[in-house]
Amino acid sequence: MKKIIAREKLPELWKSLSELGPLFLPVQEGPVVLFQPWQEGAETNLDTTNTAVPPKDLFLPREETYMQYRCKGKELEVIPAEEVKPAVLFGVHPCDLYAVEMLDKVYMEQDPPDELYKKRRENTTIVALSCASPDPFCFCNDFDVNPAEAPGTDVMAQLKNGSVLLEAKTDKGKALLEQAGDLLEDGSGEEFARREVKTADFNLKLDGLPEDLKNRFEDPVWDELFKSCLGCGVCTYVCPTCYCFDVEDFGHEAGGERFRCWDSCMYGHFTEMAGGHNPRPGRKERVRQRFMHKLRYYPETFGQIACVGCGRCLRSCPVNLDIVQAIQALGGETVEQR
Amino acid sequence: MKTNTNPYIPYPATVEETWYETGGDRCIKTFKVVFDDEEVREEWSHLPGQCAMIGVLGVGESMISISCSPTEGKFLRFSVMLMGKVTRALHQLEPGDKMMVRGPYGNSFPVDEWQGKKILTIGGGIGQAPLRPIVEYVKANQDKYDGLTMIYGARTSNDLCFKGEFEEMSKCDDLACHLTIDVEEEDWEHNVGFVPQMLLDLNPSPENTIAITCGPPIMIRFVLENLKKLGFEDDQIYTTLENRMKCGIGKCGRCNAGNMYVCKDGPVFNYAVLKEIPEAFA
Repeated sequence: MKKIIAREKLPELWKSLSELGPLFLPVQEGPVVLFQPWQEGAETNLDTTNTAVPPKDLFLPREETYMQYRCKGKELEVIPAEEVKPAVLFGVHPCDLYAVEMLDKVYMEQDPPDELYKKRRENTTIVALSCASPDPFCFCNDFDVNPAEAPGTDVMAQLKNGSVLLEAKTDKGKALLEQAGDLLEDGSGEEFARREVKTADFNLKLDGLPEDLKNRFEDPVWDELFKSCLGCGVCTYVCPTCYCFDVEDFGHEAGGERFRCWDSCMYGHFTEMAGGHNPRPGRKERVRQRFMHKLRYYPETFGQIACVGCGRCLRSCPVNLDIVQAIQALGGETVEQR
Repeated sequence: MKTNTNPYIPYPATVEETWYETGGDRCIKTFKVVFDDEEVREEWSHLPGQCAMIGVLGVGESMISISCSPTEGKFLRFSVMLMGKVTRALHQLEPGDKMMVRGPYGNSFPVDEWQGKKILTIGGGIGQAPLRPIVEYVKANQDKYDGLTMIYGARTSNDLCFKGEFEEMSKCDDLACHLTIDVEEEDWEHNVGFVPQMLLDLNPSPENTIAITCGPPIMIRFVLENLKKLGFEDDQIYTTLENRMKCGIGKCGRCNAGNMYVCKDGPVFNYAVLKEIPEAFA
């Protein structure tokens, strides 16, 4: 099913889709673009390449209370969080969708599934938007991501001559387009423009890298690589394939809540045990963990490197200790060769 | 089980009995708890080596090894060393109080695979807590195993856990219990010396034997060395790891060591596997 809509009519489409549940799409927030729930008058921005933060928080919120409790004498009541409502994610780029599929493997496919994540994922209809022009930090071509296609999406969308062409790829996608009704015109005669989108290509040596790293836990590269790291954790915050979280309680004897929130392997407390022992006591161990997880441990389990070349760590790391620098250092190339 | 679909929701259990195993700043207190919900109680099943997330609402949860064998009855036992925020709150619990429990988590000691073999446990201090379920399991299924030898040591006699249970063990033919403490004490009738040395002195044959060791890292290191000296192959040796954990189901990332999550792929590891895991002994 193909449909088309003129760009100036999009706010009407947003309004219609938001009746299904929260509609998340790229919204201009001052200098940055973030996935935000649509509201009347929102300054949407479909022309941006990558939002400052990936949309992973739709499925794994930055913070979520998943349980409340109340105690009255000997009476204890445990109240799990309410059921999640259906949502729509509109305008996600292929790299971010590839990353969501990597999180799916951990959160849904590995037993037992994380029901909080799974319910949100299943209740969300995704409209992927092909990239027209990559931004300077994009390097998804290195990872064989085609920025014009997103295989896992419910609806594929493309900006085309002042219009948006939409094609349903799943039943969920079809239902979404049907919801919009007459707002969408028939697009069956339209073709998606074939686009070869060229991103930066650092010519990274990725073949055999996970295997090669098996014997490089004690490699001298790690002794140098970590030195510039400030331990700020922004790489994990903006990375679409980072998924670690913390669980904390907030409350007292009579009542309170238990919540989880994003956490980062770049922080010292992450692995510090009660009593003070820490298996990763310094930045060297923590930097090594992050890159080893992306480049060796995740691939060992799931058969692919946990990076999609979205470029956010290149854009955000204050000391340029990004994954490209790490891969190049591990590949024996000096940073100057970049 | 009357399951919550959300795996992070714990079940209320009532503390039935508590007692102190040891004293001091890092005292160990044992809790015998029973799930409040009958369905949860009936359907719960665990194997030696598995853990549970136990906690106090408003404070948090900690991953603690289940220190009883399923053969002992429809209750759970946890022996908890006072270490931090959550264990301090747990230590406040007295009979009648609520403990929140979810699990069981992790793999287990492959007790079925070990049938017909001699079982040798080598423990130190609180490390006996995950070994105790094996001891109890083998005791309850003596016809299925070719005997059990238990070596257990601590700094002083006051630091030994489960003291009341050893005397009965030494009366059984197929069970041998060897206790040791680091320094000589008055009225101490057992061995004096470190656990790894006692292992060498006892000189157990590796033939048809499985060795399982838990305890302080330094003890484990020397026990592994000495087991090798005695001729044990890597795949005859098992140990458990402990890392900081939050979720218990291999999602939150905290206990990641190599491509393993200790909460899901462990805590029990065969030494042949463990040797290949980066950070396993960090």
